[in-house]
Amino acid sequence: MVLRLLLFLWIAVTMVVALLMAPLVPVLEETTRVLYFHIPVAWLTVVALGWSMVNSVIYLVKRDLRADDQAAAAAELGLVFCIAATVSGAIWAKAMWGAYWNWDPRETSIFFILLLYTAYLALRGSIEGEEKRARLSAIYSVAAFVAVPFLIFVVPRMYATLHPDPIINTRGKVEMDPMIRWCFLSMLGGFTALYVWLQSLRVRVARLERASLAA
Amino acid sequence: MDRNFVVLGVSLLVWGLLFVWLLRLEKRVRELEKR
Repeated sequence: MVLRLLLFLWIAVTMVVALLMAPLVPVLEETTRVLYFHIPVAWLTVVALGWSMVNSVIYLVKRDLRADDQAAAAAELGLVFCIAATVSGAIWAKAMWGAYWNWDPRETSIFFILLLYTAYLALRGSIEGEEKRARLSAIYSVAAFVAVPFLIFVVPRMYATLHPDPIINTRGKVEMDPMIRWCFLSMLGGFTALYVWLQSLRVRVARLERASLAA
Repeated sequence: MDRNFVVLGVSLLVWGLLFVWLLRLEKRVRELEKR
């Protein structure tokens, strides 16, 4: 409980500092604040989908349904974070570029990721039998994740993009105002801890669902 | 009123509601696990 309350305070305090005290990036002006939400959820999309892939591999090696629970929960949460990143990105795009959707390379990439993992959940929902569902989903998850680093890290660097430089820029450095960097890293840490909590809760719910079906 | 305060208020409210919902969900899950 203490850890939960610390997490609440951590994110709440970061929100206050980010919205009221941190300076604005000159080009971004007031929209700078979207950065503290948009990039952490985009980061968690990759973390969650990566965790889904790792657990899919574990399932294929050990045939342990607990790994399948982890993989399914991570894919669901990854999709939720992906939707959050898409919506916050669209709002930011409207403010900066004048349109919600511009088929920018990053926007196109995230659109494909949404399609890939919506299909993953549809696949899970369409297969009867735990073992078969877990096996086919694990194979799909591993295959789908092969595309994720390509879509997120390679495609946007290959084509001209409206997006600004990545956080770690082409010179391999993080060039941010110290206070913006503190708020950003603090939010990144807070959101990652929130993800760990959500993941553990979703897995526990999945196990309860299985136990209730078996009863 | 400064719009930053409005955004901050809404953000804190949403975070607070999500946090309370998660605590209640975790409590319910713990109860079901004990059965």
